[in-house]
Order: sequence, then C-alpha cells, then structure tokens
Amino acid sequence: MRRNPGFWYALPMIVLMLLFFAAPLAIVVWYSLMPPRTFDLTGDIGLQNYRTAFGDGYGVPLMWSLIGAALTTLITGLLAWPTAKILHHHAGRWASIVTALIALPIFISESVRLFGLSIFLMPGGGILAGTLNALFDVQIGTFLNTRFAALVGMIYIHFPFMLFPMLLGVAMIPADRIEAARDLGAGRWAVLREVELPLAAPGLLVGGLLTFVLCLGANAEAAILGGRAVTVITAAIEQRFNYAQDWPMGAALTVLVIAVTAALVFPAVRRIDLNRIIRR
Amino acid sequence: MTHLPPALSLTGLTRRFGTKTAVDAVSIDIAEGEFFTIVGPSGSGKSTLVRLLAGLDVPTAGSLHLRGRDITDMPANRRPTAMVFQSLALFDHRTVGQNIEFAMKMKGVPPEARRARALELLRLVRLPEDYYPRPVTQCSGGERQRVALARALGSDPEILFFDEPLSAIDYRLRKTLEVELKELHQRTGKTFIYITHSLEEAMVMSDRIAIMRAGRFEQIGTPDEIYRRPHSRFVAGFMGEVNILPVSQAGGGAVFTDLGLAAPGAAGAFAVLRPEAVRPGGDAGVGFDAEVTQRLMLGSRTQFHLRAGAAALIAEVAAGPQADLQIGQVARFSFDMADIAWVDA
Repeated sequence: MRRNPGFWYALPMIVLMLLFFAAPLAIVVWYSLMPPRTFDLTGDIGLQNYRTAFGDGYGVPLMWSLIGAALTTLITGLLAWPTAKILHHHAGRWASIVTALIALPIFISESVRLFGLSIFLMPGGGILAGTLNALFDVQIGTFLNTRFAALVGMIYIHFPFMLFPMLLGVAMIPADRIEAARDLGAGRWAVLREVELPLAAPGLLVGGLLTFVLCLGANAEAAILGGRAVTVITAAIEQRFNYAQDWPMGAALTVLVIAVTAALVFPAVRRIDLNRIIRR
Repeated sequence: MTHLPPALSLTGLTRRFGTKTAVDAVSIDIAEGEFFTIVGPSGSGKSTLVRLLAGLDVPTAGSLHLRGRDITDMPANRRPTAMVFQSLALFDHRTVGQNIEFAMKMKGVPPEARRARALELLRLVRLPEDYYPRPVTQCSGGERQRVALARALGSDPEILFFDEPLSAIDYRLRKTLEVELKELHQRTGKTFIYITHSLEEAMVMSDRIAIMRAGRFEQIGTPDEIYRRPHSRFVAGFMGEVNILPVSQAGGGAVFTDLGLAAPGAAGAFAVLRPEAVRPGGDAGVGFDAEVTQRLMLGSRTQFHLRAGAAALIAEVAAGPQADLQIGQVARFSFDMADIAWVDA
C-alpha cells in the first residue's frame, strides 16, 4: 500500500529548500557564533560578535536601512495607490501598455538603471543640468551623493514591486461596495478608509512587505546615488565579509537583519489570505 | 388640507450613453409613502433610472426634486435616500452590526445610539439580535437580504430604492420576502421605489406600477389597471401567458383575423384575452371549435394549448370535469367580448 503521494511529489522541493535555503541559513547562524576573524566552523561558541554589533556602532547603518526601507515603502505606497486606481478604473485598453512600460525596466540590471539615473542627475554636464543649461540657460546644482538621492533611487527601483500587488488589491474592490458606501453617506475619505483600504488590504500588505524587505537588503542605491553620504547595513555586511575578512562578524550582522525582517514579516504574513488574492 | 409636495418628482429625466438613450425624458411624480414599482425587461433602462434617482449616475438632461427640493446635482452621499442593491453590496469585511450602522457612523451618531438602533432594525427585519456581532459572510442568502435592508433603513432615508434585490433568490424565499417587504412598507410608511423585471412581483407589493420600455414609461397604473386594461401588446405580454388576437376590418365589420369570426364592438387592432377567459363549452359570446395540442397541469388549474383555424390560443380551466380534455381532442370553446382588453399596438 502506498503512503500519501503528496509527500513524494513534494520531496524534490523539500530537498531543494533544505539544501539551498535551510542549510546556508544554518551555516550563517553557526558562523555568527564563532570567534571573530576565523574561518573555522569548529571554534568555541560565543556571543561576542553580537556584543560587538551592539557596541561598535553598527546600529547606525541598521537604522539607516530601516528608515530608508520604511520611507520607500510609505512613499511608493502613496504613489502606487492612485496609479493603481487610475490603471484599474480609467485606463481601459491603455492599462496593459502602461503596466508593461512600468514592468519593463525590471528586466534591466538594477545598477545599469541607477548609473543611468546618476548620469541624469550629474551636475554641470549631466543630462538634466546640461539640458536645462543649454536650452533654457538655467543653472542648477544637484542632489547627487546625498541621502535624498539614495532615497529617490530606492523609490525609482522599487515602485513596480509596490504597484503590482496593489493592482491586485485594487482589483479586489467590487465597484458596487464603493457605490453602496457613497449611497449610505460616505465621502471620498470615508470610502477610502472604510471600504477601499480594508478590501484592498491583502494587496497593500503584500506590496508593502515586498518593498520593505527588498529595501532592507538594498545597497546599490546608497552606493551609486548616495555616495558616501550614507552607509546601509548591507554595505556594512559586505564590507565585513570582503575587506575586513571577518566572516563571523558579517554573519552576526546578517542574522540580526534576518531577525528584524522576520519580526516584521511574520505577523503581517499571518494576516494575508493568499488564496483570496490568487482566486481573482 | 395641506398640500404635500411629491416625495420624488422627475422632470424630463434623460440619460444618454453616446448615441444610445437609456432613459428618455421620463417625467412622473411619486407620492409620499407610495410603493412605486418600475417593471421592464433587461435593457429597458430601469436600472439606469434608479441609479439616477439614487445619485450614482448623473442625468444628461432633466431634473429631480425631492419633496420640492432640487437634488439633480446632489451626490449620492448627500442624498437622504438609500438603495438595496441587486448584488446587495454588503461589506463582507465587516459584521452584521457594522453593516447596519454604516450610515449612522458616517453621520457621526455615537456608538451606543448606533448599537441600539441597529438592534431595533434587526428586530424590524426579523433577524435575531445575536446576529449583531456575526460576520456577514456567515449569513445565508435570505439573511443577507435582510441585513442589506436593515443597512439601507439604518440611514433613516426619506426614500428607499430597490434594484431587483430578490432576483437571485429561490421562489419560496422570494414569496416570503415579498410579503415581508410589503409589511415593512406599511409599518415604516416610507416611500419605496422598486425595480424588477417581474410583473408578478410588482403586482404583489405595489401601489402603482410603471411599465418601462426603451427608456420610457409605456404605462403607469395600479396593479389592477395594468392587469385589466393594458395599453399595449408589450404591457399585455408582460403578464406572462396571454392571448393576443389580431383584428381586421373585412366587409361589414371587424373580424378576428386568425379565428375567422366576427368581432362585434372591436375597439382596437388587437384583442388581449386572459387564458382563464377562454372557457370550454359554447355558452359565452364568441364560440369556436379548437383542437387541444397540449395539456399542462398547473395545480388548481389545467392549461390547454388550442389550435383553431390559424389561431393558437391558451385556455386555463379550473379543476373539474371540464378539465378532462385530452391532447388531440376537438372541443367547443368560447369567450366573452366583455373580457377583452383592446389595444392598438
């Protein structure tokens, strides 16, 4: 007699996840407990790396990462909501074209796009400044190499990741519910608060999580557009692994970021009914 | 005696979509406390009309007055009216209580007062009070119907609109809800404006019925008037099965074209004759021999499909020895000229 066939069908995936997800995670956690600047996995277990992480000023890059991720999530959310509403309700046959145009850049390497933005923003001979100077005789400075530039890059890169789940969310709002709310005396804000946001919540949550988690792991924006104005936690981790050759310290920082991410993601994921989104 | 302005007054109300006119210059006064029903087939413009009345759509031309006040340009959320939607449009992410309290919340009614009123409304629509905290997703079809009704009443509207709310409900429950709705109308004394495609449903509940066709009211009248004196074949055809006999002028006078019989006193181009007015036997005014082509048992009555000359007729006969005719049998039938409603088109 055969046992539950579901297990055998799932087996390849289970093996894959164990090998390429669980195992590296376990190795990173194990490394973070090793003495600093060692490459062995057999040293004495200890928490000294975590003590250093809290005592040695790594809080600042972690904070910048969290602030950057939170701001990007908030701003892309504010931009994506009206965009999604317009695409869903008013764009008609243009919707798919506009959606494709927004999606297309995802297929181009992130650093290529960021260098493009960097060239656009460069002072003097940059595309924006140069054009304004040549055509309108207007001289402008630049905000390249500032925290603001890094944030602009983050928003630019992550907007589609917020928009597409939100489009699904907006599609989950039946038009008659909005009409019913208006009929019962709800103004625009009340409709948004009482009907649209709660009904689109799964899409908002997925978009928000996706954007936030991606932003937490992003460092190209800060490196290419932010110059030396800001160090994010991923840059600090990379530096530990590459230049400092301190793998245990890098691993400890990685574990901290994973812990922060998990603390935010798991409660949110529990509230999402994926079936409801996929059914649409 | 004080003269009350009509609850709702439509003047030349028109809605065009591109070149198509969905609602074509409709004018009517609906009295305070009236149960007014608009009946029409799909595409007749009745749903567009009720959306104009509720403020969910804007008329291309014409005006709308509520108790004498111009509300033509007033948005839905500021109109003192409420609608029960065909889809019900309940807020599935909220509880029964929150649904019913929605309009009160929008008006800023304090929570305790809202709750008290919601419980009152639950009783009014015959739902137990312990439904208050339940999610609406846990309610059955009939219960959802009642929640939608209570939610609309929760705004204490001056007029209630109904856009075919019973069309998706099974026959028995529909019959129950029709009676409950009529009783609710009598108890609340509010003006009800009801949309349906079923004249039968309209007959049961309404004070007045308007038959809508291609954006216009074809006939307006009490259920009795519509039933007894339809103004056109369209209205007559709406009442389910009915005999429509063309009449032509030949030689000395009018004749039933297909029956080949004289039609003395014909007052229109078509005779509308209810199936129960066609009786077996030859004792009434116009008698003819007909072959039974179909026999259908309807319970208290039996329906016969008849062929007489070029005419096909339907007769309904009360249970009894007269209803014993079989398919293929030829028998004498007759009807009274007085039972005919005459229409010209």
